[in-house]
This record gives sequence, structure tokens and C-alpha cells, in this order.
Amino acid sequence: MSNFPWLTTIIFLPLLASAAIPFIPDPDGKGRPIRWYALVVGLIDFTLMVYAFCTQYDFGNPGLQLVESYNWIPQIGLKWSVGADGISMPLILMTGFITTLATLAAWPVTFKSRLFYFLILAMYGGQIAVFAAQDMLVFFLVWELELIPVYLLLAIWGGYKRQYAATKFILYTALSSLFILVAGLAMAFYGDTVTFDMRELGLKDYSLGFEMLVYAGLLISYGVKLPIVPLHTWLPDAHGEATAPVHMLLAGILLKMGGYALIRMNVEMLPAAHAKFAPALVILGVVNIIYAALTSYAQRNLKRKIAYSSISHMGFVLIGISTFTDLGISGAVLQMVSHGLIGASLFFLVGATYDRTHTLVLEEMGGVAQKMPKIFAMFTACSLASLALPGMSGFVAELMVFVGFATSDAYSLPFRIIVVILAAIGVILTPIYLLSMLREIFYGPENKELTSHEALVDAEPREIFIIACLLIPIIGIGLYPKILTQIYDATTVKLTSRIRESVPTLVQRDHPNPVANLPFQAATVDQAPRLGQS
Amino acid sequence: MLQFLLETSWWIPCYGLVGAVLTLPWSIGLIQRTGPRPAAYLNLLMTCLALVHGAIVLRGVWHQDPQVILLHWFQAADLDFSLALTISPVSVGAMEAVTGLSLLAQFYALGYMEKDWALARFFALMGIFEAAISGLAVSDSLFLSYALLEILTLSTYLLVGFWYAQPLVVTAARDAFLTKRIGDLLLLMGVITLSTMAGSLNFPDLYAWADTAELSASTSLLLGLSLIAGPIGKCAQFPLHLWLDEAMEGPNPASILRNSVVVAAGAYILIKMQPILALSPGALTVLIVIGSVTAVGASLVAIAQIDIKRALSHSTSAYLGLVFMAVGLQWTDVALLLLLTHSIAKALMFMSIGSVILTTNNQNLTEMGGLWSRMPATTIAFAVGSLGLVGLLPLGGFWAMYQAIYSFWFGQPILVTIVLLVNGLTIINLLRVFRLTFLGQLQPKTRRSPEVAWPMAVPMVSLTVVALLMPLILHNFSLLPDWSYTNKIIVVLLLVSGLIGSAIGVTLPLNRGWSRTIYKPLRLAQDVLAYDFYVDRLYRLTVVAGINGLSRCSAWFDRYIVDGLVNLAGLSSILSGEVLKYSISGQSQSYILAIFLAAGVLGLLLTWSIW
Repeated sequence: MSNFPWLTTIIFLPLLASAAIPFIPDPDGKGRPIRWYALVVGLIDFTLMVYAFCTQYDFGNPGLQLVESYNWIPQIGLKWSVGADGISMPLILMTGFITTLATLAAWPVTFKSRLFYFLILAMYGGQIAVFAAQDMLVFFLVWELELIPVYLLLAIWGGYKRQYAATKFILYTALSSLFILVAGLAMAFYGDTVTFDMRELGLKDYSLGFEMLVYAGLLISYGVKLPIVPLHTWLPDAHGEATAPVHMLLAGILLKMGGYALIRMNVEMLPAAHAKFAPALVILGVVNIIYAALTSYAQRNLKRKIAYSSISHMGFVLIGISTFTDLGISGAVLQMVSHGLIGASLFFLVGATYDRTHTLVLEEMGGVAQKMPKIFAMFTACSLASLALPGMSGFVAELMVFVGFATSDAYSLPFRIIVVILAAIGVILTPIYLLSMLREIFYGPENKELTSHEALVDAEPREIFIIACLLIPIIGIGLYPKILTQIYDATTVKLTSRIRESVPTLVQRDHPNPVANLPFQAATVDQAPRLGQS
Repeated sequence: MLQFLLETSWWIPCYGLVGAVLTLPWSIGLIQRTGPRPAAYLNLLMTCLALVHGAIVLRGVWHQDPQVILLHWFQAADLDFSLALTISPVSVGAMEAVTGLSLLAQFYALGYMEKDWALARFFALMGIFEAAISGLAVSDSLFLSYALLEILTLSTYLLVGFWYAQPLVVTAARDAFLTKRIGDLLLLMGVITLSTMAGSLNFPDLYAWADTAELSASTSLLLGLSLIAGPIGKCAQFPLHLWLDEAMEGPNPASILRNSVVVAAGAYILIKMQPILALSPGALTVLIVIGSVTAVGASLVAIAQIDIKRALSHSTSAYLGLVFMAVGLQWTDVALLLLLTHSIAKALMFMSIGSVILTTNNQNLTEMGGLWSRMPATTIAFAVGSLGLVGLLPLGGFWAMYQAIYSFWFGQPILVTIVLLVNGLTIINLLRVFRLTFLGQLQPKTRRSPEVAWPMAVPMVSLTVVALLMPLILHNFSLLPDWSYTNKIIVVLLLVSGLIGSAIGVTLPLNRGWSRTIYKPLRLAQDVLAYDFYVDRLYRLTVVAGINGLSRCSAWFDRYIVDGLVNLAGLSSILSGEVLKYSISGQSQSYILAIFLAAGVLGLLLTWSIW
């Protein structure tokens, strides 16, 4: 079985399955058979994924695994090559998990259900392809292909301003992803060999100026996706107009693509430039955390509020990847997974609340808890997860980033102190806007105007099931983070040791005496810092 | 068997948690036929189990060296976050006190919350509460303690927000969470700093590190301040004190625990951190100042409250202020004694006033009176609780205060005065409450008020007995000074302050009908105290307004500047398209002209060098 093309199968199964959707009989036109079909396909794919990673993936191996490579268009050197390492593997798993749940969350969608589930399945395959692609051109292709389903999902099923939001989204992201193509081509043609293979691109010896240029280009395109303030304004609009399932995919997976690509390309392939850019990334991260948290507090629209909170949490990823410590990078990956789960759950609940109140304006809600105690309880639990309560995954991730940055030997002490204090202020702002939001929606006496014309029914079992599915891993990771970190630790440790090579001060500290008596030194696993030589 | 129970002593905090989980079928409505009571019984059973298990462990570890249980939670690089528990007589004893009080409070809740439809949810929250506090008692790791403090913050939030449809609860729960959370996060910053400096977060390692550590004065001051921020929030000390007052909107059985053991939990962590705090004299001074300010301020504020629960909750802040002073002067045993006596007495008083509130459906002091004839057990409980709190012979509070003054006697005359002042003020306040509630004429709201039913009476009376036996218990643990060696001056001073306070308290005119005086200066003082020195308004004008303003600024900036630029780019491209479209006239001659012109210009440019 070890030669079976697992990843290719996992990517193409939903894509091929989606092609069958037009032929499924749908007698009453409400799309019941179609949604079951999509759900079953999603589940099968997720099971395949779990099986493949359980049997074929070795957690101790830091390099790429499950590698497949086929010539696609040999004339231009285009190869279909996929693989997974510790950074992409958890994200692939999370993609399968959240997309399947989003399919279940899309149960009430009856409008054009064939097209809807077709797009969801198409996204399923496309998202995994983004995380698995090991060829720069393939990566660019699937990255672009991913935008189309999202555009359509936004433009057809969104809220009142859906056309504006969808257009803004597609223009913003398509324009920014041009930088990926340009940077990718530049890297491919640099030097005397032409290659699109990411591993080989990482091995090339670029001049510093070139690296900086490519890095800046990639930073812009991924900064739009992650997003990094000030390239974020597509997000509140897109999130504000999307329906709940699309929302879950946007917040749960699409944002993580930006973070993933930053680690995969900027950090891994261009370490020298990363060493130069890292302080800027840290500052951008802090700005993200505080600016988005403050803006979120002022939002009166529920979806926009949560959207800004996503931006705020992504700041920790930026800080994490610039720490040059195992703990920090590990924390960044954990934050992506954790926010994927928490963000998806919060957005799902926002959607569920909207289905009942039919308003997103906080002033028009109030006292909703009396009619919907279960939704209230779930909303509270997910908000607490989002504000990083110990015992939930967000806390572990943010703590790891904090400690990772505080112990980082790449920065001076005053810089570290200031950054940690500012980030802490951001963390204090999080409960302010989340609890105020809960207060305005749920607490207090009932809003008579709302209850008079809306039937506020409590959560149905399907919704409880979805939230339970998301909360169990959130709490599981929070109580015992090793469950997740051991999956990818080998890769992040190796990545850290590689990028530490490119910081002159750290090299001096690491190498003359590897067991120097510094209290917090990143463990160097092996002396093969180059990517993929093992 | 004993060995097994000792080894599994880490189960004791888990019992409460298990109980909380077991109530789930009832609290989410899976089981409705039985009503919510079985959930409550299950929780009580788990607490009993914890109590029995704890008692056996306590016997087992008596006169033994502390044992440490280590659970490796998370390692990355060289950093090891391990969860350490220490099983020593003191920690297990504290845990026993917590489980015992929790058992009484839960029993009490059976009566108090009888008619509440969400009884199961309440007991689940109490289970979490109990688990977190008893976990704190045995925790030997600063990291674990921090995490448990956060869980306490959470359960306070949920318990205060229990009656979420009430108007005042709306902000009370949020404020309680936010205030404590600010303290907790500052503490977390301290924890992170310590983890980078000391390399371990277990208390023994931290103590060893603190012995040899040499920090610059500013670093140690910052570290100390961030570490004490957590307990300041948790113990409702100035400037993070407002939440406790607001939290009184929650159900009373939770207030019993909150005012006795939850605040004590914060102080307990502070006591455990004391050797680290000792690195910075500045931090200790801050501790003393905060403690003194809160002790005096809160005692004064309590006198002006007309809500019976709030009148007592401010006195909790005041007593915790005394504890802060003791820790600041490094008298941790005095601090522990104060905590113990205060917890028992305060829990008893909250049980008593809970009975009053339930029977009269009223928390307003000015509408009560004459209850002594109707509710004798409740009256006795309040009286014993008050005696146990204050420095009048011979109950627990006296000895705690005596020890406090005895420790401050040499060198800190100001602090001695503060203790005496707090004693006097507390007595005035308690006598005022007692006279208003229990003495005097019967009022319309107190006329039909029978004594409470047995589920509330049993815990109240048993705690009354415990409070009465407090001196004996202290004596048994040899915590009392020998009478013949006591400093008689202190005893006399304490008694005099108590008697002066009693005299004022007894003669204080209490005008029910117009409890707000019309005498201007007095009225001003009354208002200042009743509104808590207007601190909440000050916060609203500074911190809250600041954050509101900032967030509005950033939202505006985001909407009009950042997003405006994006939209401007879109708009300009549309506009330029709109303008250019007029060049498409459909007349081929103009196209040919345009092509020729362009070609000409291009040719000119290309051949520029030749010219």
C-alpha cells in the first residue's frame, strides 16, 4: 500500500465526485440527496486522510512524506508533485475535518443546492491541494482555482452586499496572487537551472537582494490572505456577507493558507531574507493583534466583529514564525490549527444565531438567551475558547508564542519586553469585545421588538453535534497539547534550526559551542539544516 | 489501601469536576422526567467522596514530609511545563477546608435554589468552582495555579451570570470576568518572565532560584508587580476591587464560597509566591500600601451600603487587605491564620443573610427589622459569624488580629493603627447591619418570615458550631499563643478598639424611613462612601472612555482610510474606464488617426537617438 498515491487520491476524490452532482436525481428539488451525497463524499475523503496519515506517515521524520511526483507538462518542467510534512499535515487534516462539518452546516441551504455542493466539493479538493502541492506552478494554479468557488459562493449565497464583497474579494486576492507567480517564476529561473520544485527552489543559493525582493512580493500576496493589516479590508466584507458554511471555510481554512504559505515559502525557502524581515513581521503581528481587536470592539455587526477577531488572532502567527525558536514556530502552527477550529465554531454559531434573529446588528438583539439557552451555552464556550482561556487550544497556542518570543535570543531584551506587553494588551482587549458581544446578544431582558416577530427556537441536534465536534478537539488540545504538537514537532524543530543558520548572531551562538549554558536555546536536532536532505 | 489513596490524592480536585460532568444530562435537558434534583445529589455525593478521601489522606500525611506528584504536561525545547502537586499537611488541610465549605454551601443551595429551574447547571458550576479551588490548594506549580485561577475567573463569570435575564447581572458578570482577567493576564506575563529566567515554574525550583537570583531593582519590581496583579484582581483589592461588589448579583450559595474561599484562593497564591516577591522590596511595599488602602477604604465603604450582601462583601475586601499587609511584611503564617478565621466567619454570615434574603425576598437593609424573633437560628448564626470575624474575645477573629498586631508591633505603628481601625469600623458596620436586620420593629417585608427549612438550617447551624469551636481548633493545631505570654497591651488595645466600635455601632442613629440624611456634609460623605468613592465613574471616564474612543478611532480609520484607499483604487479604475469609453465613437477614421498618431510617437521615440 505504500506506493498507493494517497494524496492525489485525497485531492481528486472530491473533485471527481463533484462532477457527478448534476446527475443525482433530486425529486422534490430541495437538494436532500445532494447534501447527503456531498456529506458522504466528505466523510469518505476525511476517513481516507486519517487512514493514510495513520498508516503511512512517520511522526518522527521531519521531511516530506507521502511524496508523489508525475510529469504533467514536461516541456515546461511542470510536474504534479505533492507531499506532506509536519506543517502541512495537520492543516490537511483540519481542512478535511472542517469542510466536512461545513457540509453538515450547510444543511439548510436549498437555493441552487446542486451548484452549492458542487462548489463545496470542488473547494474541498482544491484546499487540500494548496497544502499538499510541492511544485510552485501547481501551487499557484490551485491557489488561483481556489478563489473561483469562494467567489461564486459569496456572490450567489451571500448577504445584501454580496456582489460588492465578492468582487472585492476576487480582485484583491487575484491581484495579490500575481506576486506569487512573478516571485515563483523569478525563483525558478534564477541561476543556471530551471525548476519549479519547491524543494529544489529552497536549495538554490539566492543573492540577498534577490531574496529580499521575492520575499517582499510573497509577503504581500500571503499578507492579503492571512491577512496582515493594512491588507485586510477584503476580509470583513467577505466574512460579513458570507453564509455560515462558507464562513467556516473562509475563517477555518482559507486564512490558514496564508500562514501556511508564509512558513512554507518565506521562512523555509528564503531564510536569509526572513532574518531581515522578521522584526518587521513581529511589529506587523502586534499591530494586527491590537488594531484588529480595537476595531472589532467598535463593530456593530456581529459577523464583522468576529471577522476582525480573526485578524487579531492571526497576529500571533506572524509573531510566532519570527521568533527563531522551536516553541514560537510550533505555537504559530498550533495557533493556525486552533484558530481554524475556534473560528469555524464561532462563525457557525453566528450563522445559527442569524438564522433565528435575522439580524446581525447587535442593538437589535438582547435577552436572546431565554429562548435559546443551548445556543447561549455553546456561544459562551466558543467565545471563551477564542479569548484564550486555559484548558482550551487558543491559550496553549498563544502561550507558546508568548514564551517562544520571550525566550527568543534573536531580539534584544527591550524589544521583547515591549512586544510582549503590547501583545498582552491585545489579549486583554479580546475578552472586552467578546464578552460585550455576549452581553448584548444574550443577557438582560428580552428585546420585545425582536421576539415579537422572530421565532427564536433553540439549537437543533445537528447544530449541537457540529459544535461538539469542534469543541472536543479544542478542549482536547487545550488539556493535552502534546496530542497535536508531537505530530509536527520534528518538522518545526528542523525548520527552526535551518532558519537559525541564517541569523549571524544566532549562528555564532549555536555553533562554536552547541551546548552553551544559555538557559533557553533551541535544540538542534541534526546538523543537516538544509531542507529535504534527509 | 492507604497507600493507594495517597497516591491517588490528585483525584480529590477531580471529584468536583466529575460531578460537574455528571450533571450534564440534566443541565442540557436530556433527562427531564426526574427534575434537576438528582444532579444536585450526584454533586453532593462527589463532594462527600472528596471530603472522605481528603480526610483519609490528611491522616496519612500528618507529620509526614510533603510528597510531590508530577504530571508532565507539555515540553518544548528546554521548557518543561509540568503540573506539580504537593501533598503536605497544610495543602491537604486547605483542600479539606475547601471541600468542607463547598459541601456546606452545596447543601445550603439545595434549600436556597429549590425553586430554580436551572438547579443542575448551578451544581455543575459549583462542582467546577470546588475543583478549581481545591486544585489550587494542592498545586505546587505556578503555571498550574495560574491556569486554575483562570478557571476560577471563568466559574465566577458563569456563576455571577447565572440569572442572565436580570438587568444588573448583565454587566456584573462581564465586569467580574474582565477585572479578574486583567489581573490574570498580568500574572501570566510574570509567569512567562519567570519561566524564561528561572527555567521552571514549580514552586520549589522557583524558591531555589529566588534565593540566588540577582535581578536589577527595576526588573524585580516589574516582575513583582505583575505577579501581585493576579491576587489583586482575585482578592478584590484596590484598584481591581469593583467586581466583588457587583458579583453580589449572583446566587447566594455561590457568594458564600466567593466571599470565603475564592478570595482566599487568590491570597493563598500570593502567600505561595511570597519568596519570589521578596526579591523586590518595592513590590512588597506596593503590597502593603494596596492592602492598607483597601482595608481602610473598603471598611468605610461597607458602612454606607444599604444592600445587605454588598455591606458584607466590602468587608471581605477589607480583610483581604489585612492579609495583603501581612504578606507584604512577610508574615505568611499570620496571613494564613487571618484567611482561615475570615473564611469560616464570612461563610457563616453569608449563610445567615442568605436565609434572610430568601425568606424576605429582599436585600434592602432599610426595609428589614425585627427578624430575631422570627428567625432565631439565623440571628445566632449572624451574631456568631460577626463575633468570629472581629477582634472581640474570644473567637477566631480576635486571635488572628492579635497575631497580626503582634507581628506588626515592632516598627510598623501605622499598620497597627490600621488593623485597629479596620477592627473598629467592621464592628460598626456589622452592628449596623445586625440592628437593621434583626433588631427593632418588624417591617412589612419581615412580618411573615419563618425560619428557613432544614437543608439551609443544617449547614448554617453546623458552621455556627465550627465557628464557636474555632479557638479550640486553633489551640489544637497550636496556632494560639500561650495566654500567659500574650502581650497584654495588644489585647487591651484590640479590645478597646472593639469596644469603641461597638459603642458607636450601638448608638448610631438608624433612620429607616429617610436613611439618606439631609445634613449636607454628612450626605456628601454618605454618597462618596455609598458609591465606592466614585471609582467606577472614574474608570468609566478614563479607561472605558479611552478604549471606546480608541476603538472608534481605529474603526473609523479602518473604514475610511484603509478601506477608503482600496475603494478609491476601484473607483478610479471604473472612472477611467468610463472616461475612456467616450473615445470609442465607432468612426473608423478617428481610430485610424489614433493609430497613426500613436505609431508616429512611437517611431519618434525609437529613432530619437538618430535624430
